[in-house]
Amino acid sequence: MTTREEILTLEDVKVYFPVRKLFSVTSYVRAVDGVSSTIRRGETLALVGESGSGKTTLGKAIIGLVKPTGGKILFDGVNISELKEDELKKIRRRMGVVFQDPYSSLNPGFTIYKAVEEPLVVNKIGTSEERREKVLKALSDVKLNPPEVFASKYPHMLSGGQRQRAAIARAIISNPDFIVADEPVTMLDASIRVEILLLLREIQQKYGLTILYITHDMATAKYFSDRIAVMYAGKFVEVGPTKKVLSSPKHPYTQALIDAIPDPDPRNRMAFRKIVTGEPPSLINPPQGCRFHPRCPYFIKGKCDVIEPPLYRFEEGREVACFLYETGSV
Amino acid sequence: MSASILKVENLVLYYSTLRGVVKAVDHVSFEIKRGETLAIVGESGSGKSSTAIAIVRILPRNVGAYKGSVIFNGTDIMKLGEEEFRKKVRVGGISMVFQGAMNSLNPVMRVEDQIAEPLVINMGYSRQEAVSEALNALKLVGLDAAVGRRYPHELSGGMKQRVLIAMSLATKPKLIILDEPTSALDVITQANIMNLLKKLRNEMGFTYMFITHDLGLASELADSVAVMYAGKIVEIGPAESVYLQPNHPYTKLLMDSVPTLREDRPPSFIPGAPPDLINLPNGCSFHPRCPYVIRGKCDVDDPPMIKADHGSYAACWLLEKERK
Repeated sequence: MTTREEILTLEDVKVYFPVRKLFSVTSYVRAVDGVSSTIRRGETLALVGESGSGKTTLGKAIIGLVKPTGGKILFDGVNISELKEDELKKIRRRMGVVFQDPYSSLNPGFTIYKAVEEPLVVNKIGTSEERREKVLKALSDVKLNPPEVFASKYPHMLSGGQRQRAAIARAIISNPDFIVADEPVTMLDASIRVEILLLLREIQQKYGLTILYITHDMATAKYFSDRIAVMYAGKFVEVGPTKKVLSSPKHPYTQALIDAIPDPDPRNRMAFRKIVTGEPPSLINPPQGCRFHPRCPYFIKGKCDVIEPPLYRFEEGREVACFLYETGSV
Repeated sequence: MSASILKVENLVLYYSTLRGVVKAVDHVSFEIKRGETLAIVGESGSGKSSTAIAIVRILPRNVGAYKGSVIFNGTDIMKLGEEEFRKKVRVGGISMVFQGAMNSLNPVMRVEDQIAEPLVINMGYSRQEAVSEALNALKLVGLDAAVGRRYPHELSGGMKQRVLIAMSLATKPKLIILDEPTSALDVITQANIMNLLKKLRNEMGFTYMFITHDLGLASELADSVAVMYAGKIVEIGPAESVYLQPNHPYTKLLMDSVPTLREDRPPSFIPGAPPDLINLPNGCSFHPRCPYVIRGKCDVDDPPMIKADHGSYAACWLLEKERK
């Protein structure tokens, strides 16, 4: 159940995409395959995973852009997967989204003013004067100052960082409670990434927003999230407070992911990294049992390749889907 | 061992566009010694890739200026005609692994044939010899010979990247230029490729020029590091000193802006954005963003490379002040 503290509850959410051959559906790509979790009001949850892990699909399901195949997505107690289009539209006003590519997410033929105003126009909010006030306020919230000047510009006149600011202004224009930020800084240069993430955090604190930060980058997740959920092949394998998960990762996949990331250190060149081999599995026909078992160094034969491990709770707020932690379960 | 294999001096590559001249590579100089790796790091638009294509002479049509000297293996290859250049540089000289592995393989040709083709055309191998060389190269990069019979769509991203590396090795080059070789790959696959590059360097003594925007990744291979900003090298030196005792304010701020996993240091950012390469600021290109700017100097005169400690050089007037 969604309580006051939780803004979003996922219950066994599944998103399958049909694979068609001629006119019949032959199989399914199980992009998200049974995910349960909660997001608390005002927190930032980082959803971390490699490409094809299902993180973007889950983000889209949460804001109602794709319909889940199974399970429930409760936004403030309302199951959004059962809503009709017009009801969904209403609830979607309370959500904002920032996409990865600021070069393609803004219409090149719209001025920044029009792009940021659009959600208000679509949802028929306010008179044009009220909307103007809101747009200028949003632009100054994202520090595109002076807002009047930036409002009249076109996307091509802005730098990548400025465009992403405009995209954030558009995401917050309808006063949402919840924002999905899907790789918002991946396309930006290193020197300005942190600036955009700090801006998101500032806006979050100012308006009490909840953020789902979708990323493949553990290092930014470390500084900009309260909790982290690690996704592998459509499943959550580990969930917990960011600091704890990063300082002592429990799931072998989380460990492998962290081991693979190089910090800038000239001593790196002397040593080889200990890396798991192989590639993430096909989501059409994922391995039986634990999906990570073919690559796992701690694989227990006859167990991991037969039964799928549930999410074990083993510490305050920490969960891990791995049989190694079975005994420590609560 | 320490003989230089590549010496680039005052390399210039400008593009002419409708808006004006883009100074992509603006008097760049550096040297790579045999068996060593030079990493060229910089943000997008800093001129890293343009430097590479200027060296191997794969130029777009809108070149405005292209000059300087590139001494490869004792010869100034900028002075060579097309045919000489092909023989001395493209075949067994310098090979290049491009960014975006996914798109640079021919989709309708078997992998082994793609690797063998340049050997037949450029090196006069028979088809049979060439294919057996290709299979050797596949083995070197950790792929099964059976992969040779496959088509690119049957391979994963990491395997395709390995094939491209195999392709670059097959001609037995003296220098391999790696342009963001892992930027389209996931972190675990990326780490595997970096391990492979290290192994090849250790076992076969390859010389790499490694281009990347990722400082963490650069530290996986680099013996020395060159930092580029707005078409120029702003700092160059041994990896230890560039990473641990950066001299140029840009290098320092760039290092600070990278969030690290293992250290507990909140990252910062560099205010502003990199300049427009058509309309560069006067003086030092970094001065509008630099916290240490000296008015009347940095915004007037472009600093030359000045010698710093521990074998580093940096283009910053602050160093001159320290020297005096």
